[in-house]
Amino acid sequence: MLNISLNEIYSEAYKAFRSIGIEWGLAKDAANQSKWLAEHGFYFLGSILKNADLYKKGELSLLIKENTLEKPLSAALIGLLLVEYVSSANLKWKGYIYDYKFLCAAMGIIGNEQNVQLILKKNKKIIACTLGKKIYVQKDMVNKTEHFSLEPYLSNQEFDLNKLQKIEKLPAPKVNKKCWDRLKLMAFETYVPESETSKSGAGY
Amino acid sequence: MEKNQLKTKLNNLYIKRLPRDVMKLERLGSFHQTRLSFSRQLIDELITNNWKTEIVQWNINADGIGNAVIKIFSKQKLYSLIVFCHQISDNERSDRVIAEKWDMTFSLFLGIPSKDELDEMSKNLKIQELGRHLSKQLTLSRANKSVRVFNSVLNDLSTGKQPDKKMINNIGYLVRTTAVYGNGKFGISDYLPAKNDNPLNKPFQAEMLTVYLIRYFSIELINYLAKEKGKDKSVSLSNEISKHIGVGNATGLGMAPFLINHQKLIHKWIDSRETALSRVLSIKKLSKYNQAKIFNLIEKAYFYTLQWNVDDIVQSKRINILRKELRDISNNKRLTDLLTQVYPIQKIYEYFVNKISMETQEILTSIFIEPFSELINDLANEMGTQEQSSVLIGYNVNELIEIIKNKYDWAIKLNIKDPDENHFFWYTSQAKLEPRLGVTKLDNGSEKQLPFDIPHQVQNALKILKSLPPNITGAEAMVLHPEIRNIIKRVIINENFPFGEIQNNLVGKEVRPIDLLRCKLSFFGASKYDPKSNLWTRITLFQGAPLPHQLQEKNSSEWLFPYLEND
Repeated sequence: MLNISLNEIYSEAYKAFRSIGIEWGLAKDAANQSKWLAEHGFYFLGSILKNADLYKKGELSLLIKENTLEKPLSAALIGLLLVEYVSSANLKWKGYIYDYKFLCAAMGIIGNEQNVQLILKKNKKIIACTLGKKIYVQKDMVNKTEHFSLEPYLSNQEFDLNKLQKIEKLPAPKVNKKCWDRLKLMAFETYVPESETSKSGAGY
Repeated sequence: MEKNQLKTKLNNLYIKRLPRDVMKLERLGSFHQTRLSFSRQLIDELITNNWKTEIVQWNINADGIGNAVIKIFSKQKLYSLIVFCHQISDNERSDRVIAEKWDMTFSLFLGIPSKDELDEMSKNLKIQELGRHLSKQLTLSRANKSVRVFNSVLNDLSTGKQPDKKMINNIGYLVRTTAVYGNGKFGISDYLPAKNDNPLNKPFQAEMLTVYLIRYFSIELINYLAKEKGKDKSVSLSNEISKHIGVGNATGLGMAPFLINHQKLIHKWIDSRETALSRVLSIKKLSKYNQAKIFNLIEKAYFYTLQWNVDDIVQSKRINILRKELRDISNNKRLTDLLTQVYPIQKIYEYFVNKISMETQEILTSIFIEPFSELINDLANEMGTQEQSSVLIGYNVNELIEIIKNKYDWAIKLNIKDPDENHFFWYTSQAKLEPRLGVTKLDNGSEKQLPFDIPHQVQNALKILKSLPPNITGAEAMVLHPEIRNIIKRVIINENFPFGEIQNNLVGKEVRPIDLLRCKLSFFGASKYDPKSNLWTRITLFQGAPLPHQLQEKNSSEWLFPYLEND
């Protein structure tokens, strides 16, 4: 196992997502969500690689308005935009999501930064919510496609927080070296061999 | 007295310069060290909290090879600098980032390392980027000797002589760092600005402390080696010369993307500097003491420029003009008159600003801010931040269009089809993962360019936004067009943090990356910028700063414009 810093996770994930053709802003979002998961003790590295593979195979969608069980929305790639969309238009969104822990990360980020209150439900059961700057999630997360609804939290809604777990920051993560090397290899694809003109006068 | 005046006038401050005037590369590339610079902030912290320095381990032999541990501590915290000195041949010594061996490798460590941790570092520090480093390490760095100066000073000291001051002035350092990594690079600790118990929680304080301690080490090392070589005949460097020895640094494009990637942080830095200027311009009356201080600083700046000599033709011309203009200002009879009037600094500023070069305007900014630490100290605490991950909600398409029209008029005006506006592209090199500048027509790899073509992205986004219903939310616009997410985020950040966007085309033919470097280096507190091309520069850090044993001396926090009188 390898000790890595949060900055390394952000930086390598960002480039890895770029290497599969994800737009700069979305790649940053995905990297920030990955960092958030790492920072809060969630399994993240294998999930990044899996999301990237599925996206490359055309099995994940980036379209918030068009997703199916066969081609669900990638929470890793579009989760942050989805929570902004729901929050800004104050609407209820329903659809198929792959790997919803990334959506929880997005909820955690926007809850903390913009104090936005959201509820994520599966079959009418609350599985994640942001309250104040805190986030609570269902304890057992599964990495598969399911149907969810995401909506703003209204103060008159009542639910039992005891069934959810308050998520706190944890010490820096350790990761599997093989997986980390795979991520770095993806990131490497965004680099360019240095040309002679670039070297000229560059010095350092 | 000025502080009280300012308190009563806080709602009536002299208007800050506008981002459209400040955020131009030509101006950013004329910045100098100020009291808000990070090396200055570090020295202020060391003075205020009475930090002590102690060498706790010194296993260096007479050839200068071995390791050392230097402890630095206050009542609250303890750090140590771990240094390994290596034997390398002259042909292995290179300041380029692709070098694989260095005279010294070192790291700032949280606490004092255990034997196991020291063993681990002995294996990894020497290979720098190729190693994996401990999470208790706050920085990772290396330095080479300036061989000519180092050997000459060593010879002089070992034979009982102080070195030639002219040579010390010309070079200014014994060792030169070639990279100082922080913030989680290669496994070291992440920068955690939110941790309040951390005295290094302000920007680049860990990096600055590393450089400050390696400067101290370099002086201790040369005194030790002189003693080893000359025994009873040897002398130590005089206090005067020691204080004038800084640390050299060679900086290239690696530093440039930071200013584009950290919009909110850069806003904080520049906004603090501009607020500081606005505050001092609002001072109604100056005491005689401060009148003299301003006058003396102009003189001091002039003498500093006499010892700032570079080969670069452009910078050399700028320095010559700067010298002449500083001399003209201090000889101008209006100066002493203006100093005694109401709103003196404002009047001096307005009287001279249109008559002088940008280099002189910005050195005046440093001069004006310098005497008034009590007016600006709070700003130093405002210069750190965490970048926002989400995009602020609450904007609709119409509002985004208006922001672009108001804040990015400079980008909209540009003819982005002109080949000259597409001359360069920025990329990350495979060789050392460093940013590089490619020429679009000549080099491969433009499809992997970094997103620094801001005007191009702005114009594209504007076109898309205009095609959408004006009342839908910005988030919905990005849902429909994910390809504009990066630039819309920038636009919204710019609306709230307007000093965070450089208002030049960074891929245009006229861009001078050296201006980006100088801007960032000025916030580090660099002096004696010595550009070697448009793409890299040498600088000196901590020249004139008090050494650890001088921190509690009178006026030790005042070390702007280092100057060493020649014999």
